[in-house]
Amino acid sequence: MRFRTKLTNAETFSKLTASLSSLGKTCWMRLEPGNIRFTIIPDQGTQVWAQLPIDAIFDESSYILESNSGGIINLEVPIGALHRALRSAVDAKSAQLRLTQKGRIPLLALTIRTLSWAPGSNALGIITTAPGTGTGTGPGSDTPNGPSRPGRERETVITQEIPVKVFHESAVEGLHEPRCRDPDVHIILPSLGQLKSISERFTKLASPGHGFASAADAATKPTATGASAAAPKLELSANMHGALRLAIATDALRISSVWTDLVNPSLDPGQLSQGEIERLPSERMRAVPGDDEAGWARVRIDGRDWGKVLSVGRLSPRVVASFVHETALILYVYLPGTFNEEDSCLTYYINSYAA
Amino acid sequence: MASLSFSLSPEAIYQLHDALMCLGRFGDNVSFEAEFDLLRLSVLNSTKTAYAAFAFDADKFFESYSFGVDRRNMSAGVQSHKFCCQVLIKALVSVFKGRASGRNKDTSVERCEFELQDNPDETECRLVIRLICGLGVIKLYKLTYEPVYVQHATFDRSRATNEWSIEPKFLKEVTDHFGPSAEQLDIYSEHGKTVFTSFTTKIADGKEILRQPVHTSVAIDKRDFEYYLAEDNRHIAINLKDFKAVLAHADIVHARLTARFTTPCRPLQFAYELEGVKSEFTLMTRGEAVGDDGPSSSRAAAPQLSARQTPAPVQVSQQGPTATDASRMPPPSSRSRSLRPLTGTPARASQTPAESQRPQPPVEFDSLFVPADDDRQWDVSNDEEAPAEDELGWDATGDKDTFTASLRTRVPNEESEAAEIGQEEETGIPPTQRISQVTLSALPT
Repeated sequence: MRFRTKLTNAETFSKLTASLSSLGKTCWMRLEPGNIRFTIIPDQGTQVWAQLPIDAIFDESSYILESNSGGIINLEVPIGALHRALRSAVDAKSAQLRLTQKGRIPLLALTIRTLSWAPGSNALGIITTAPGTGTGTGPGSDTPNGPSRPGRERETVITQEIPVKVFHESAVEGLHEPRCRDPDVHIILPSLGQLKSISERFTKLASPGHGFASAADAATKPTATGASAAAPKLELSANMHGALRLAIATDALRISSVWTDLVNPSLDPGQLSQGEIERLPSERMRAVPGDDEAGWARVRIDGRDWGKVLSVGRLSPRVVASFVHETALILYVYLPGTFNEEDSCLTYYINSYAA
Repeated sequence: MASLSFSLSPEAIYQLHDALMCLGRFGDNVSFEAEFDLLRLSVLNSTKTAYAAFAFDADKFFESYSFGVDRRNMSAGVQSHKFCCQVLIKALVSVFKGRASGRNKDTSVERCEFELQDNPDETECRLVIRLICGLGVIKLYKLTYEPVYVQHATFDRSRATNEWSIEPKFLKEVTDHFGPSAEQLDIYSEHGKTVFTSFTTKIADGKEILRQPVHTSVAIDKRDFEYYLAEDNRHIAINLKDFKAVLAHADIVHARLTARFTTPCRPLQFAYELEGVKSEFTLMTRGEAVGDDGPSSSRAAAPQLSARQTPAPVQVSQQGPTATDASRMPPPSSRSRSLRPLTGTPARASQTPAESQRPQPPVEFDSLFVPADDDRQWDVSNDEEAPAEDELGWDATGDKDTFTASLRTRVPNEESEAAEIGQEEETGIPPTQRISQVTLSALPT
């Protein structure tokens, strides 16, 4: 079993792992000859199924993958540790990732070569006055004109060894992506940064303990059957006329934000016949007038979990949200900057809570 | 009886505060040693594997400094040439908290006066700190101290065979690559590189591979050092937390750090000097640590630092103010002092100096509008509560049994605990049932 590659895009890889690590501690990483898949299935909350072509983050020419089970390696990776390790690689000259083992522990070893830590040769604040004086200078008395060593042409090598688990193919055969019925509404989400800050503001306003949270909620909390104290639920809805609504309601307040003139992407006609497309629920929803409440598909999602999902915005992706009315929200997150954008997609499955 | 008083300029207050913050990472109590020409602040950590000391020069560091010993009337903590006592660092730091920044310009501190009251007639063991601020505001703090004999770690520089010197900035960038769980640091050099490797001696649960610590090693060029005079392939290991504490202070004060050591299991000393301040950190080292997988933690296993004076300090402190002195020491004199504490609670000690040591929490983005490109905005927001328990999850196994699903959500990642709960369930009382409910059902109504 061999796996070795150079990283071409450590920053994307690092941001990807950062987004994934907000949803779960461990990640199933599946290395295939042409793709890498990352899957997070937490005990509760949102699942992510991501697939990237190897050239999105790895160097295709140096990508070596060998294994007995069809050239596929399945790993369980502590995603937070991997993210931390990758942060060392973001500004590096080169970084190599390989599967190895130390003793009996399999490791992902990340070897990073970097030329200089600090940008610019003078930013180091070196205080080399006359040698042998022995005394440094106090704060604020830096001598910018003092003799400074030239910029660093020296190489630093950082190795990060992340313990992983290797799975046999049979161990992951039973894992499948969730399936849902055809969505009612497809819509391209507005800027995730804006959506995230508004969602967090709403969630904060409705949180127990906040002045606007309903007093009844707080009072009933201890007596509820073992499970209350839930984070506030956001209500997210959209129609096929380019409108998206984010709302939250407690006994004390009801607020909402509405986006309009968003795009409802059309489905690929190559995959479905005209008749099939016409029978899709989203086409029926499109026929409902924009001002009719029946044309809206609605889900109720956990505010905290939604915030974690939106952390994927650090990758500046294009996101299509598919609403299955009162059932689920599926996000298709397309990473920018890859050769074939459609190939690198993170799919988030978010379930809807009953009202 | 000893008398000690000194005053500090605002700049010196700043330096003293930095030094106290650094000392606070080694232990809870700082030892004051007043001599005629210097004042030394030091901490020996509880396991006696690390000793940190700052020596402030009487003439250069202080605006004024006066120390005297009355040999006829010696009290605890007074020797012929010096006076020693111990103060809680948290209490001392809280005096300066927020003062050094000069945030409030009008009433910022203009001078700071320390006075030690060792006179039995005067009061209890008091360290009086007077902050003289703008607009005539005077803030008065009275801290209690404890007379002790102070232990020093000895380190003979002339016998150190290995020595290197470097800007702390380089080392700080090395330690930035280490994970939060790293405990120890191994340093050695070969082929013109110096290699810093983090490792953890705590045995993680043997089967839990994913909980094993990440090993990080960083190799930097020897030319990054000012000079590097140490044997190649000489592994020496120190506690990473202590190392970071030293680096943090050296970096703040822009001092070049010098390390001296001989062999593993003998002390290593970091030292640097500023105008009027000498800093020394003597740390115990371990050798061959990478192959050492002993079950005990490194701190317990490491030999103690040799100490110059080893009278039992506990006894001394008990003799001090409590028993003998209390009887003959009158209560604090009733004559009203000219300067009353303005806050009413002079030594509001022990308040959260730890907070300032913790890494700053990620900036909260309250704005509705997206700030400039800052990756942290995508982090999960900080003000989260414990995970809710009534959530339904996507169930990849297709298991429709919601009851076990909810059990699983209550005890994530702990199969063994889940199993225990399952057993409890068989014995009749589901884990969610309240005691009150049990009692109710048992009692006839």
